[in-house]
Amino acid sequence: MLLSKIIRTGLVTEPLNSDSTRFIEVVRGTGTEIRRHLGRALAIREVDAGSCNGCEIEISGLTGPVHDSERFGIHFVASPRHADMLLVTGPVTRNMEVPLLKTYEATPAPKLVVAVGDCAKHCGVFKGSYAVVGSVADVIPVDVFVTGCPPEPAEILQGILTAVGRLPQKQ
Amino acid sequence: MKTLFLAMFIAYGLGAFAALVGGRKSFGRWLVALGAVLGAGAGLALGATVIATGIPFTLFFPELLPLGGGLALRLDALGAFFLVVIGVGAIPAALYGAGYTAAYKDGRASLPLLGAMFNLFLLTMSLVTLADNVLTFLLMWEGMSLTSYFLVMTEAGEERTRNAGLWYIGMTHAGLGMLLAAFLLLAGGAGSGAFADLRASAASLTSGARDAVFVLAFLGFGSKAGIVPLHVWLPRAHPAAPSHVSALMSGVMIKMGIYGFLRVALDLMGGGPAWWGGLVLGVGVASALLGVLYALMEHDLKRLLAYHSVENVGIILIGIGTGLMFHRYGLMPLAALGFIGALYHVLNHATFKGLLFLGAGSVLHATHTRNMEEMGGLIKRMPWTALFFLIGAAAISALPPLNGFVSEWLIFQSLLGGVSIPVPEVVVLMPVAVGLLALTSGLAAACFVKAFGITFLALPRSPEAAHAHESPFSMRLGMALLALACVGLGVAPFAVVPVLGTILAGLGGLPDTRAEFTMNVFLQTPSAFGQMSPTLMALGLLLLLGLVPSVLWLLRLNRQRRLSDSWGCGRVGQTARMEYTATAFAEPLKRVFAEIYRPMKELTVDFHPESKYFVQSIEYRSEITPWFDQALYRPFLQSATFVAQQVRRLQAGSLHLYLLYIAIVLILLLIVARWL
Repeated sequence: MLLSKIIRTGLVTEPLNSDSTRFIEVVRGTGTEIRRHLGRALAIREVDAGSCNGCEIEISGLTGPVHDSERFGIHFVASPRHADMLLVTGPVTRNMEVPLLKTYEATPAPKLVVAVGDCAKHCGVFKGSYAVVGSVADVIPVDVFVTGCPPEPAEILQGILTAVGRLPQKQ
Repeated sequence: MKTLFLAMFIAYGLGAFAALVGGRKSFGRWLVALGAVLGAGAGLALGATVIATGIPFTLFFPELLPLGGGLALRLDALGAFFLVVIGVGAIPAALYGAGYTAAYKDGRASLPLLGAMFNLFLLTMSLVTLADNVLTFLLMWEGMSLTSYFLVMTEAGEERTRNAGLWYIGMTHAGLGMLLAAFLLLAGGAGSGAFADLRASAASLTSGARDAVFVLAFLGFGSKAGIVPLHVWLPRAHPAAPSHVSALMSGVMIKMGIYGFLRVALDLMGGGPAWWGGLVLGVGVASALLGVLYALMEHDLKRLLAYHSVENVGIILIGIGTGLMFHRYGLMPLAALGFIGALYHVLNHATFKGLLFLGAGSVLHATHTRNMEEMGGLIKRMPWTALFFLIGAAAISALPPLNGFVSEWLIFQSLLGGVSIPVPEVVVLMPVAVGLLALTSGLAAACFVKAFGITFLALPRSPEAAHAHESPFSMRLGMALLALACVGLGVAPFAVVPVLGTILAGLGGLPDTRAEFTMNVFLQTPSAFGQMSPTLMALGLLLLLGLVPSVLWLLRLNRQRRLSDSWGCGRVGQTARMEYTATAFAEPLKRVFAEIYRPMKELTVDFHPESKYFVQSIEYRSEITPWFDQALYRPFLQSATFVAQQVRRLQAGSLHLYLLYIAIVLILLLIVARWL
C-alpha cells in the first residue's frame, strides 16, 4: 500500500523559478563558505524578539523540502550555548529585551548576529509603539541586516552567507 | 585475645558509665565517644586476630545463666567477620556522634541515656557475634533490640518518633518470637542449647522440622534484616533515630540478621534443599527491587536511605540465595563466590550506608529538615559533606572504582554461573534475577542522582538551606574515615576476597576456595568465567582525569574562561522555585511503575468566578501508600486493636472486680487440678 502510494503520487514539490541559477549559486557558495570557515555545520539559534511571525515562516521555509538548509550545513539548534549565529527577527519588544541580551551573552564567541526583516532593522510598522524598545541593533551588535517584509529564504541565505564571511578563517 | 575481649567489654562499660555520670557536659560526650571508639577498636582487633590466626576465641561462664547451659562465648571466623563489620561501622559513627549530640544540649533528649544506650547497644551487638549457645544468643539479641529501641526513642517528644518506636519494637519482637520457635525446634532434637550440639544433631531432624526451622529463622532474622514485606519498621525507625545511630542501625545492626541467618542455615544446619536457596533468592530480588522503587519516591533524605537499606539487604540475600543453591548442587567454588559476594556487600554496605547516613545527618544538622525539597545549593556551604556524600552515593550506585561495584560484580558473576545447574527452574530463575538486579542497580543510580542533585546542587530552596554551615571537625572526621574505607575496599578487592574465602572455609562443608580465585591485580572468578581489575580501572580513571585536562591545556584549547549565569531560556528572574524538584525527577518513573505504586492523585483548580479561563490557584497532591502496609498490616492491626478493645471491657478499674477475677481463676484452677 505504501509502495503503490509512493509510485502513484509522484513529485509534489514545485520546480524552482526561472532565476534558479542564482539561487543554486548561493546555496553552493554557502556550503563551501561554511566548510572553509568552520570546518563543520553552522549552528543557528533563532530568536523571535517580537516579530509578526512573517519572518519565521520564511525561515522555516529555509528548512523545508525546497531549500532544505541542513544539506549544505545550516543547522538550527535549541540552545544559544550550541550556536555560532543568532538569527533575530522582529522589533525588540520590552519583554524580549533582557532575554535577547541574555541569549547574546550565552552564545559562545566567536558569534554572529543576523537581523532578519525590516522590523529588525528599523522597527517597520511597529515603530514608535509603546511596547517596542527599538531595533535589534539598539540592543545587541548586529553583523548583517536582511531587508524585506518578509525577506525570501534565498535572501536570508544570502545574509547568512555574508555573515559567515566575517568569521575568522580556519587554518 | 582475652585481653582484647576484656578491653572491649571494659571500654564499652566505661563509655556507658561516663554517659550516666557526665553525659551532659561536652567532656562527657567525648568520653562516651572514646569508650565506644576504644571498645569498637578492641572488637575490630579481636575479630582480625581470630580471622588472621584461624584460632577461635572461647570463653565460658557456667555459673552465669546456669539454666541455659551457662554464658558461652565463642568467636569463630564468621562471627569475627561481623565483629569487624561492627568495628568498621562503629568507630566513625562514635566520633561523629561526639559532635552530633551537641545539638541535644537544648534538652530535647536525655544525653546520659543516649550515651549509655549507645555503648550498651554496641556491646550487646558485639556479643551477638560471640554467642555460642541459644540462650546467650537470644539474650544478646534481645539486648541489642532493646538498646536500639531506646536509641530510636531519643527524640521521644515527637509523635512520629513514638510511632516509629512502636513499629520497631513490635516487628523486632515478632521476629524474636519466630527465632524462639526456630531455636526450640532445633534444640529439641539436640537436648542442649550449645551450638556445637545443634550442629551435630541438625542432620538427624526430620525434613519437615528442618524446613520449619529454616522458614522461621528466615522470617525471624529477616524481620531484623529488613526483607520485604517485614521491612516496614526501617523507613520509620531509621529517620527517627539520631543520625549516627541510624548509620549504625542501618549499616551494622540489620547485618546481624544476615549473620544469624548464615549461622543457622549454613553453619548449624549445613544447607538444605534447593528451594531454600530459591526462596532466599526470590525474596532478595523482591526486596532489592521494591526497596529501590520506594526509595525513588521518597523525598525525606533519611527515609530514602532506609529504603535503600532494604534494597541492599536484598542484594546480599541474592548472593546468599545463589550460594545456598550452588551448595545444594555441590558446585562449591560457585557457592563460595555467592557467599563471598554477599559478605563483601555486608562490609561495603556498612561503609557506604554509614557514610550516607552520617552525610544526611550533617545536612539535617545544618538545615534542620529532612525534606529534600527544602534543600539545594548545599555544596557551596558544606563542601566536605557534599564530597563525602558524593563518594557514598557513587559507591552505593555500584560505580567503579568504589566498593559497591566490586561486591555487586561478584554477585552478578555467581548468578551468571547459574547456567551450570542442569535444572530448568534454576536456569530460568537465575537470568531473571540477573535482569532484575541490573534494573535495581540502574534505579539506585537514578535515585542517588536525585538525592545528591536535589540536596547539594542548584540554588537553595529555603532560608535554612541558604544559611547552612559546614559540620564540626569530629563529624567530618567520621565521614572521612568511611569515605576512605569505601575507596580502599573498592580499589583493593584482591586483599579482601581471599580473607572472605578463609572465613567461609569449613562452614556447612564449604571447602577452602582460595585457590580457585586468581588474586592479584586482576580478580578472576572460578573456572575463569569473568575477570576484572578495579585497581587498573581506578588507575585508568585517574589517568583519564589527569591526562585529558593537561593535554587540553597543552594544546591551549582551554585557556580562555568566561563566567556567566547558567542558561535558563532567557528568563528574567531565576529563582529556586523554577528548579527541578525531587518530585519532578521521580515523576517519569512513577508513571512507568504506576502498577506497583498505585499513586493517589488529587488536583484541585480554583477558577475565577467570572470566567473559567482565569485560574486563581491550583493545588496538586499526590501520595503513595505502600501496598503491603494496606494489604498486610492494616487488617492485622485493626483486628489486634479490636481484640484489645474487647479485652479492655474486663479492665474496669475497680479493685473489687479484680479481686473477683483472682477468686474465679483460683476456683477454676482448683477444679481443674481436682479433676486431673
